[in-house]
Amino acid sequence: MSGLPESFAIVTDGLSMRYGSETALDGVDLRVPEGAVYVLIGANGAGKSTAMKVLLNLVRPDAGRAEVFGLDTASQGPQVRAHVGYIPESHEQDYKWMTCGRLIRHVAVHYPAWDHEYAAHLIDIFDVRLQRKVATLSKGETRRLQFVLALAHRPPLLLLDEPADGLDPMVRNRALAQLAEHLADTPTTVVIATHHIAEVESLADHVGVLSAGRLVAQMSRDELRRTVLRYRLEVPEGWQPPPELRVTSMRRSRAGREVQWTLVGEPDDVTARLAAAGATVRDVTPLALEEAAMAFLAEEGAP
Amino acid sequence: MLVNLDPHDARPLYFQIMEEVRRAVVVGSLKAEDPLPSVRELAAELVVNPRTVSQAYQELEREGVIYVRRGQGTFVSPTVKRGAGERRSLAQAVAKRALLDARRNGVGAEELVTMIQKLAAREDV
Repeated sequence: MSGLPESFAIVTDGLSMRYGSETALDGVDLRVPEGAVYVLIGANGAGKSTAMKVLLNLVRPDAGRAEVFGLDTASQGPQVRAHVGYIPESHEQDYKWMTCGRLIRHVAVHYPAWDHEYAAHLIDIFDVRLQRKVATLSKGETRRLQFVLALAHRPPLLLLDEPADGLDPMVRNRALAQLAEHLADTPTTVVIATHHIAEVESLADHVGVLSAGRLVAQMSRDELRRTVLRYRLEVPEGWQPPPELRVTSMRRSRAGREVQWTLVGEPDDVTARLAAAGATVRDVTPLALEEAAMAFLAEEGAP
Repeated sequence: MLVNLDPHDARPLYFQIMEEVRRAVVVGSLKAEDPLPSVRELAAELVVNPRTVSQAYQELEREGVIYVRRGQGTFVSPTVKRGAGERRSLAQAVAKRALLDARRNGVGAEELVTMIQKLAAREDV
């Protein structure tokens, strides 16, 4: 809470990673507060999955370091993984020859904290059929199995990579409701990587925006709401914005003498700068989470 | 209690929950000493972060709309009012939203009021 120094479940410093000529991560400094539901947004290929794999020491970054609960991921990978429930982006599940029931028992022994009663509840909620062979599962069925495996040991950290992918809308809603209930019962930090923010936005309290491997924004939902605003301005003919605002300006539309911009910054400061430059601020409106987050992505493609 | 959240609404989710509870009290669907759903239940129902529900409940408790009975749950305050003041603040919130929406669409306040009156006079609205 405010006033107290924040402690972080995840800290990364300057994570960089290339696959051949492709930049997957470019100097990423993640700060995920303990207990947060942190939604990592970005297009496909923006680096979200790579970031999660670095946190689990499944891939090694070319530069930078990462800590999970103070554990160095590169040298303490197994300890880190013991603290994490992970849903990978891929629906490929190991041990394909096993039945779901056998796989669940197999995974359970690796986690001293495995909660058998809770696992049974999750199997029921996610409608996992224990006799089925893993190899025969559909995408959605695999996802549901992965939810059981990730939640049943009540890990302090959940890394969920496109968790709703492959789930039909009914099951998706049930899965996310189960996640909300899980959070009420178990103190957990959650990172959700998604390119579809609308699916999970009601759970989010922190947001990170990845674009081409760079973390272009990272803040709490409250801060996003407070500092990313739409300004409706009346401006004289041929008016040009002050250069220092051009940098933070992200989206604009024009209709006659009225322009509408989405700007980032302390509202008082932005308003003062606009006024000093000869614009009259007609209206300032907050944005819904998705719009505000998307504004950071729009910046990249803008001319 | 029926709570509806709109993710496209720019108001914070905890605030939307507060408004919904207040609305339920004003329209009488929540009465004094009625139990509220637990944080866990409402979080699962709305698919929101349990912290968001907690925050809404804490603020409502501070305002005296609800109170917590230890070990038993959260209830509507016995002193909760459904008076003119509460109706007025509800109406004010609705008017504010309409005004904001109007402004976004370039509709002036007077124009909006005139149109509302015109529509209200019609029987089919």
